[in-house]
Amino acid sequence: MTETTNNTVLQVRNYSLDYLTAGGVFHALKNIDLQVGAGEILGLVGESGSGKTSMAWSIMRYLPSNAREAGGDIRLRGEDLTAKSPAEVNRIRGKRISMVFQDPGTSLNPTLSLGTQLTETLRRHRGLTARQAWSEGEAMLDRVGLKNPAEMMKRMPHEASGGEKQRVVIATAFACNPECIIFDEPTTALDVITSRQILDLFLDLQAETGVASLYISHDLALLSRTAKRVAVIRHGEIVEEGTVDDIFNAPQHDYTRQLIAAAPRPSDRRTQTRPSYRDQPLMKVENVSVHYGRKPFLSALTGRSFERFAGNRAVSLSVQPGEILGIVGESGSGKSTLAKAMTGLNPFEGQMTFAGRTIAGLADMDRAYRKNVQMIFQHPDASLNPRQKIREILARPLKLYGEDENGTMAQRIGDMLEQVRLPRTHADRYPHQLSGGEKQRVAIARAFASRPKLVICDEITSALDVSVQASIIELLLELHREHSTAFLFITHDLNLIRQIAHRIAVMYRGDLLEVVPAEDITSPERADYTRRLLAAVPTPAGAAPTERDF
Amino acid sequence: MIELLKRLLRTPQGAVGLILVVIVFIVVVFGPWLAPRDPEAMSILARYKGPSANFLLGTDQYGRDILSRLLIGARSTVTMAVFATLAGTFAGAFIGTVSAFLGGRADEFIMRTIDAIMAIPNLLFALLIVNLLGSSSINALVAVAVAFAPGMARITRSVALAVRKQDYVSAAIARGESSRYIILREMLPNVVAPIVVEATIRVSFAVMLFATLSFLGLGAQPPATEWGLMVSEARQYMHLSAGILIWPSLAIAIVAIGFNLLGDGLRDALNPRTGG
Amino acid sequence: MSPNYLLKRLLMIVYTLFIVSLVVFAITQVLPADAAVMMLGENATDQALEALRQQMGLNDPVWLQYLHWLGGVLHGDFGQSLRTGQPVGPAMLQALGRSLLLAVLSIALMLALAIPLGVLAAIRRGKLADMIVSLISYAGVSLPEFVTATLAVLFVADWAKLLPPTGYVPLTENFLDGLAHLVLPVCVVSIILIAHVSRMVRSELVDVLHTDYIRAARLKGLSTSRVLFGHALRNALLPTITVVALDVGYLLGGIIVVEEIFALPGIGRQLIVAIQTRDLPAIQAGVLLMAATYSIVNFAADILYAWLDKRIQYD
Repeated sequence: MTETTNNTVLQVRNYSLDYLTAGGVFHALKNIDLQVGAGEILGLVGESGSGKTSMAWSIMRYLPSNAREAGGDIRLRGEDLTAKSPAEVNRIRGKRISMVFQDPGTSLNPTLSLGTQLTETLRRHRGLTARQAWSEGEAMLDRVGLKNPAEMMKRMPHEASGGEKQRVVIATAFACNPECIIFDEPTTALDVITSRQILDLFLDLQAETGVASLYISHDLALLSRTAKRVAVIRHGEIVEEGTVDDIFNAPQHDYTRQLIAAAPRPSDRRTQTRPSYRDQPLMKVENVSVHYGRKPFLSALTGRSFERFAGNRAVSLSVQPGEILGIVGESGSGKSTLAKAMTGLNPFEGQMTFAGRTIAGLADMDRAYRKNVQMIFQHPDASLNPRQKIREILARPLKLYGEDENGTMAQRIGDMLEQVRLPRTHADRYPHQLSGGEKQRVAIARAFASRPKLVICDEITSALDVSVQASIIELLLELHREHSTAFLFITHDLNLIRQIAHRIAVMYRGDLLEVVPAEDITSPERADYTRRLLAAVPTPAGAAPTERDF
Repeated sequence: MIELLKRLLRTPQGAVGLILVVIVFIVVVFGPWLAPRDPEAMSILARYKGPSANFLLGTDQYGRDILSRLLIGARSTVTMAVFATLAGTFAGAFIGTVSAFLGGRADEFIMRTIDAIMAIPNLLFALLIVNLLGSSSINALVAVAVAFAPGMARITRSVALAVRKQDYVSAAIARGESSRYIILREMLPNVVAPIVVEATIRVSFAVMLFATLSFLGLGAQPPATEWGLMVSEARQYMHLSAGILIWPSLAIAIVAIGFNLLGDGLRDALNPRTGG
Repeated sequence: MSPNYLLKRLLMIVYTLFIVSLVVFAITQVLPADAAVMMLGENATDQALEALRQQMGLNDPVWLQYLHWLGGVLHGDFGQSLRTGQPVGPAMLQALGRSLLLAVLSIALMLALAIPLGVLAAIRRGKLADMIVSLISYAGVSLPEFVTATLAVLFVADWAKLLPPTGYVPLTENFLDGLAHLVLPVCVVSIILIAHVSRMVRSELVDVLHTDYIRAARLKGLSTSRVLFGHALRNALLPTITVVALDVGYLLGGIIVVEEIFALPGIGRQLIVAIQTRDLPAIQAGVLLMAATYSIVNFAADILYAWLDKRIQYD
């Protein structure tokens, strides 16, 4: 595995990296062995804290001042990068090795045009004049599939969409014909369909130029569609490495098995319950619309026409008691807007009916409604008040809904924590002392405190690692089985929703397109957008042929 | 509280600031007992003397002991500044919170008016009010408080708005909590911290503003021992003895620096994430 | 940036001046001073005093007096000084002109020093240079103008005899001597500004240098100077525009004190005299002019900012 061949472009040999922190020495990378050959794509998969990003910085020689290289080397076509001076490294960066970053929104300077940022590498590394660089830049933008390259060159980052920006970043990375490119989660910040397009673009360019690519991701399913070989990294060590087929069909290491199991597979149905569709719906939403925006003060004077922005347009759906209804859509589809309307955070037009009672607005949401309709938010750091202890946070719903009997509060809070698999002693801690997954569990405990009939989950696992996500979902399903709670589960992860939902609702740009039983989602009768969405989602390799995307 | 002090002492700004402010407060409280001599005792023979065993910082144009005058003067300068800042902060915080809570057009109207009032420089505003009320320490206090209120209103409002956007506030609304609970228990604890930081830093501005008013003859009146007044009186005689000018100036600077550093230190210490 | 935005900003200036005039009028009207007595002296007869009061409209209700005054102002007539009897407008405007010279020179000096100091502190963060700049800023921000002014006069003018202590010489009369008289005042006014702005620049630049896009620029292999000047500095300086514009308010306050100490005949000095002698029309005109200066400067800063930063939608 560590033999070099003439074809090896990037080779990491026995490389170790430490960080000196206030709490002692942290071993970020331990004896890493990696290699990428010309024309090859190596996938590096790991969760947060695994060291995959540190590996990328080490290769690019961009380490913080408290980093100490504890051995090994990194070679680019045989040349040891760790032995090079900063000036030499600067000449190599962008020219022989370049990098594509995760979020094009933050990795582009907001005050310079896209063209300027593309051409500055050309001028720096290939010695082109301003004019030559500009026309070369236009040609590159054309190559990466942007319409109107000439115009796009002049645009500012905020005038381009996420997908367009990432194409520009990719063009910049390929601009000087580097020997090796590192891709650090390049599609994580993009929508599902755009991600797929960027992925296809990458595969296309890579095949054409034969550049050696190190593709870092946390998404095993995505890597299985991209790379030929995959290395699994955990706590700074490579635990397993092999071809995609080997890894997925015959994983050797426990952790690899764990990761594979945690990645949602549509064929692996997690929910066994079946709600009844003959009863009255628990929650009915009829023609609910949400509009944003206020008339500007001077619009009457200046005569500007004003249109309010529609977050939701006449959405109608229903949730049966004990049903898990999934809502999928990309950003801007209006799924969170709807959730907020249902909990009184957004004013809405239209009507809702809960357990037979009509809800026409915030005023109708009385205590009984609140007790029975709870919400869990996406970012666990933001949804728990940083100045309150866990004990206070959990006691609140009990006090509010009148369920606090003196003397039993401490006991009940301990029980709530145990129910979500947290130690009872966590009650004395502050939120910042808990991990992301633990905070989300507290949020779940808080929501379930009043034994609600309906829990709205707004992308609650999107900010979490894959293995943590799996355990949160398992917890949720357990509570579902125990209390027959209905869920409105909002997510952009189609694979996940196919695993757990009874029915799936698809939203696009504020409209509800269709609501179908989960098993029918792959039927060819689905709406165009639904089918495009399904086609864009990578399912893990090793999945049965019947669920392969089409 | 002990926690807070410990965190505060961890940063250099917090430590130095805390020490300086504590020294200042000791002087304010115990000034009259610490002063070696009577601040108003004049002595024709002992005028313009430099530092000596009898007069640690020397004497002024009337032969009065400068050190004693400084120690007593701490009371007028510092306590007035602190109370003025507190008054201005409370008034401003109230307006700012109400404005943030009302939102919409009311908020915009209130804030635009506050912006308009802030077009009058602080010093000028204070001068006008003192002129209206008459020159004295108390009136200067009122003037400084009124001058600070708009600025504090702006800051409170922007902090309140930022806090209001947080998910934990949304979670509280979604639970059906009353407005009173949300404002008092969810928002206020998170709003108070930045306000305390800002107010501490403002005390140093208040000290300077106060001293400036006295310097211009519109604050404390002679023979008061307010530091700004001491500098003003010293101008005529400074070529005879520089100390008359330098010591009160240094005192003002030290107090201002102390509160400034303390404010910066509090900023880190009160942040539950970085302080803990 | 749309015409709508410009219109809104201009209306804001008008609203500001309106509110300021109300506030000043309210404050000054509560004064127990009797304008007629001030003009004619203590020994004037009751008849004469009453006649003057009628003539000046002092017996009218307050709101009517305000409207009269407002009407006058809109025609450019600020009334007559109770102290000198001369029209207030021209005198104040001339004084303002001299103050503006002081202000402009101070801002120029401030920009020339504060920006390099801030940049230095940011790139040498945590090292000696940073600490020194930090120290200077803390000290600068903690010394009131009257202290630095008095100390400056003591050390530079009296002891070292390098520059003239106080007084004013118009530049048109004697350029060099005029400048010499301005050096100390300009330095004193700028000190606090330099301290404040250099801290701002440092803090903004440190934040910018930690962004993803600066990291991306470095990893593209761009030269250090390109990254610093072509990317980082231009983004860090943008918010500085807003801060400097807001500081103009503080600057104007500082000018009042400095003009008093250095005996410069600017608008600050005029205002002090007007306040001490309860010369109401002069006070009103002076405050209004100061507020107008502040508003126009902020307006210009907003326009400049919007023109430079195309990100934000201004409509």
